[in-house]
Amino acid sequence: MFTLITLYSTIIPISLYVSIEMIKFIQCAQFINNDLNMYHAESNTPALARTSNLNEELGQVEYIFSDKTGTLTRNLMEFFKCSIGGEIYGTGITEIEKGGAERAGVRIDDDEDKRSATAVHEKGFNFDDTRIMRGAWRNEPNPEACMEFFRCLAICHTVLPEGEETPEKITYQAASPDEAALVAAAKNFGFFFYRRTPTTVMVRESHVDRMGSMQDVAYEILNVLEFNSTRKRQSVVCRFPNGKLVLYCKGADNVIYERLADGNYDIKKTSREHLEQFGSAGLRTLCLAYRDLSMDQYKSWNEKFVQAKSSLRDRDKKLDEVAELIEKDLILIGCTAIEDKLQEGVPACIETLSAAGIKIWVLTGDKMETAINIAYACSLVNNDTKQFIISSETDTIREAEDRGDPVEIARVIKESVKQSLRSYLEEARRSLSNTPERKLAFIIDGRCLMYALDPALRVNLLGLSLICHSVVCCRVSPLQKAQVTSLVRKGARKITLSIGDGANDVSMIQAAHVGIGISGQEGMQAVMASDFAIAQFRYLTDLLLVHGRWSYLRLCKVITYFFYKNLTFTLTQFWFTFQTGFSGQRFYDDWFQSLYNVIFTALPVIMVGLFDKDVSASLSKKYPQLYQEGIRNTFFKWKVIAVWGFFAFYQSIVFYYFTAAASQHGHGSSGKILGQWDVSTMAFTCVVVTVNLRLLMSCNSITRWHYFSVAGSIAAWFLFIFIYSAIMTSFDRQENVYFVIYVLMSTFFFYLTLILVPVIALFGDFLYLSLQRWLFPYDYQVVQEMHKDDPHEYSMIRLPERSHLSPEEARSYAISMLPRENSKHTGFAFDSPGYESFFASQQGVCVPHKPWDVARRASMKQQRQQPQRTGRS
Amino acid sequence: MNSGDAAGSSSGGSGDAGAPRRASRKPKYSKFTQQELPACKPILTPKWVISVFLLVGVIFVPIGVASLLASNKVVEIVDRYDDACVPSNVTNKLAYIQNSTISKTCRRTLKVPKDMKQPIFVYYQLNNFYQNHRRYVKSRNDQQLRDASKANETTLCDPEKTRDGMAIVPCGLIAWSTFNDTYTFQHNTNNLSIDKTDISWKSDRDHKFGSDVFPKNFQKGPLIGGKTLNESIPLSEQEDLIVWMRTAALPTFRKLYGRIYVDLKENDTITVTLDNNYNTYSFDGKKSLVLSTSTWLGGKNDFLGLAYLTVGGLCFFLAFAFTLLYLIKPRLVAYKLSYTNRIKFHR
Repeated sequence: MFTLITLYSTIIPISLYVSIEMIKFIQCAQFINNDLNMYHAESNTPALARTSNLNEELGQVEYIFSDKTGTLTRNLMEFFKCSIGGEIYGTGITEIEKGGAERAGVRIDDDEDKRSATAVHEKGFNFDDTRIMRGAWRNEPNPEACMEFFRCLAICHTVLPEGEETPEKITYQAASPDEAALVAAAKNFGFFFYRRTPTTVMVRESHVDRMGSMQDVAYEILNVLEFNSTRKRQSVVCRFPNGKLVLYCKGADNVIYERLADGNYDIKKTSREHLEQFGSAGLRTLCLAYRDLSMDQYKSWNEKFVQAKSSLRDRDKKLDEVAELIEKDLILIGCTAIEDKLQEGVPACIETLSAAGIKIWVLTGDKMETAINIAYACSLVNNDTKQFIISSETDTIREAEDRGDPVEIARVIKESVKQSLRSYLEEARRSLSNTPERKLAFIIDGRCLMYALDPALRVNLLGLSLICHSVVCCRVSPLQKAQVTSLVRKGARKITLSIGDGANDVSMIQAAHVGIGISGQEGMQAVMASDFAIAQFRYLTDLLLVHGRWSYLRLCKVITYFFYKNLTFTLTQFWFTFQTGFSGQRFYDDWFQSLYNVIFTALPVIMVGLFDKDVSASLSKKYPQLYQEGIRNTFFKWKVIAVWGFFAFYQSIVFYYFTAAASQHGHGSSGKILGQWDVSTMAFTCVVVTVNLRLLMSCNSITRWHYFSVAGSIAAWFLFIFIYSAIMTSFDRQENVYFVIYVLMSTFFFYLTLILVPVIALFGDFLYLSLQRWLFPYDYQVVQEMHKDDPHEYSMIRLPERSHLSPEEARSYAISMLPRENSKHTGFAFDSPGYESFFASQQGVCVPHKPWDVARRASMKQQRQQPQRTGRS
Repeated sequence: MNSGDAAGSSSGGSGDAGAPRRASRKPKYSKFTQQELPACKPILTPKWVISVFLLVGVIFVPIGVASLLASNKVVEIVDRYDDACVPSNVTNKLAYIQNSTISKTCRRTLKVPKDMKQPIFVYYQLNNFYQNHRRYVKSRNDQQLRDASKANETTLCDPEKTRDGMAIVPCGLIAWSTFNDTYTFQHNTNNLSIDKTDISWKSDRDHKFGSDVFPKNFQKGPLIGGKTLNESIPLSEQEDLIVWMRTAALPTFRKLYGRIYVDLKENDTITVTLDNNYNTYSFDGKKSLVLSTSTWLGGKNDFLGLAYLTVGGLCFFLAFAFTLLYLIKPRLVAYKLSYTNRIKFHR
């Protein structure tokens, strides 16, 4: 009995493991690491596969968890556009607008060379408009407004200048890159803020009337009304050298608009339109306003302010109340638009990935507004999207916080999270059934997430998140990122992928099936923890849609084929068993059996694992929908395996019975009879030929390596049997096959069988393949036929060899080389240092409270770095 | 010039200056690593499918016809005699066949259905005889058969290894059970001589069975399995043994007994005198005598020709059916193409 079972050991494909490891290794080491499409010239970083056993999972990813800062964005704020006195300035085009235009079929030529000579591009400033650059604003219809605008930018901030006091050398220390960008903008408009003393701001202005001449003006700063998340604005009361008192204010549009003086409806209306325009272009907006103050007004207010400031209880609250008193009757100057620079090609990449059926989640430590803004910018969310927002910044929660009982706060938050989860889930289900076309987005902040991840609420959270097309989690800690990732990984049982660039993404990267690190930047932690490292977010398209998809297809093909060839081989043995009285007699010689997997069928399947391509790389990206076949695991279903199994069954019957029938008659004119080993050798020859030809049939592309390996495998068998049956050794049983092949080849019967059996065996497969393609084609087959007449593509044509960087590359290289902000605060409008991060406090990082603390912090930082130099403050 | 240019050139400068310093890690282009090896992309379009079917049909039908013709030319006489050659009064066939004292000569008359051209091959056919049983197949020693000096090598020959401590040559079950019915033929009262040379494959005679190996201690046990061998003839000339020892793949098999070099006419009768010695009664085996002519393809074998014809015909039919489908109904892929174009691939 045991002998009988060991006969079928060949059904276990031991060489499968080795073959797959080899294929995966080459796929990683040769294809992924060397892909020119994933080489980032500016940072000189090729893609890097750090593990070789996840290739096929790259082709089945359904959920992507992405960090924001450094992954989607460059964390680089640039002053991009502005609206002054009802007029828009700035000619740049954002990535989102480009994407939108491309969708509409318009090609926007954004060639660097064609930009005007006045275009300036430096850190924090990427602006071009001849109408207001280089003092030309004086000729604009509203020069007064322009001047106020620039002054406001130069005065109303909490930035510290550093370094030499010249426009070229100076650097600005700011709590948020937005602020620095605004001051840099003022500098470029001719209002150069160069020095701060505890009471004054020194600005080198171009003369109001005379062009070209400069004057240093000292503005005395009387009060600073700091930014915080409830106020969403920042004001400065300053005294001009001529004694005039002005309050400059900048802040979020809704906050500023509430406090504007009556009148000037035209400007308000046009500015409002401009704000919306900026917003839809993915820009971060701020409104600027001012108010002239009389001495009396100021004095009476300042008393209250001093009082509030010196109060010991509820100081912040009182200060806010006092600020309300003076921040009114403002006059709108205009608004600014800052681009939170996305990484190149991010919106397009995200759109492609969404079309591929991949759901993208943004997990960020940023504030909700910032996160939503970026979600808009990345076209994850648009105006038609229904948003489900769970935020801890609601009135009820705030009330509870004011009462200050932590247990009570927790209870209130939990209750509200529970309720909103339940109602949102219902609403989402309703929306899904009523208007399935409508996109849904779910936005939650870290604090609520903490409660939503509670085991009791987890089911609802998962249900809601899986229904939504995109999910944004803001203000989340690294741990929560990992929790969310594993929630989906375990809950949805789908392949998940995490991508991030920093140390705070490591846990998330490790929690997902596939972890991807952004390489080519300072930090290495993410890369060290990752499975694959790429230089840019947009290379995900290539990594998933091209490499991942191909790897998945190839490995499916390799595994099913292995299954088929071993099953076919073993089944012939199985049929023989029935006719040997179940005695356990082997049908094949031991050496045939041993070498079947190792030599006669080994190489071609590896070629398929390496070279098979259903559609070219560019088509894979052009039709991202093809990726869904991987997500649905179309090529490794029971149905697919059953089809292979069925044909293995059919073929083995053909092999066995067609050849075995031979032993019953004399063959050839000599009338001699073939014995058992003649029959088995003939059957084995047919198996080797058929199985190798079957492989060719299942190939989508046949390179010369396929021909070599298939022909080589068949030739290897003949070579082997020619030698093996020509020699006699004293080894056990080898005489069985002595001269067998020559005996066979002396009969016509052998040749006729050798033609007949493979054809009949493959007949079924061929019919199945033709009918399947004809009647139920896979998506890739449809694409194949649509493009079957396309010429062969070489990337050589697309990627000409360049010894030097093109101007555009040089530019983006320069941008990438710019020092990055490492601020904890990035956010919508601007974050003042007064804003305290929830997580910063949790992590025990002390964040300064007062505006002037920025100065202290900056100076401390400086001291730390260069002890010999003392801070400016 | 202007600040824009200055900024551009400064950054460009730093890029250029940086470029030579850092060794470029840009991957080298090769068709292999970029996965752009020239490849042919076979797509099973209707044209291809139909042409392949036609091609196979065109090739297979003639081969089928030729094979079938060859097979039809073969004249074959099969006569089962195991039952008939036991006298009808014998109830225990096993005892009858094992009783060596009874003469088991038997006479059969065969009618020639068609003209038979010489050479006429004489086969015996056994049914239900598992020559491919594992223990049976194993029970031989090739070295002993080949090499006189290895006469005592009897490993694997169980249970026919030794007799009274002396090695049996040829040892093993296969040799022990060699077929031992004998046939003599008479045609119109003339004895037909049977040529029993060159009935085995030459490679077996020359290399597997030694010309200096002589049978020893063979069939000396209490149980006689089959043929006894003349101890003065070397194994390489014992062709019945050689034929027998090329074991058959299936439990039903034929083996060549000899050739008759006489042309036979239609309706001739042949009288066969046979010694019914071989015991197939213990396992319900059947024994038949086969007379057959041969062609280039061998003996009577309709199967091959029919298979070729069937496949060829099926191919023609499918080619026709697919063409019809192609003409009558616009291709379904094309239909799906336009459908998916609209639904799925529409941006």
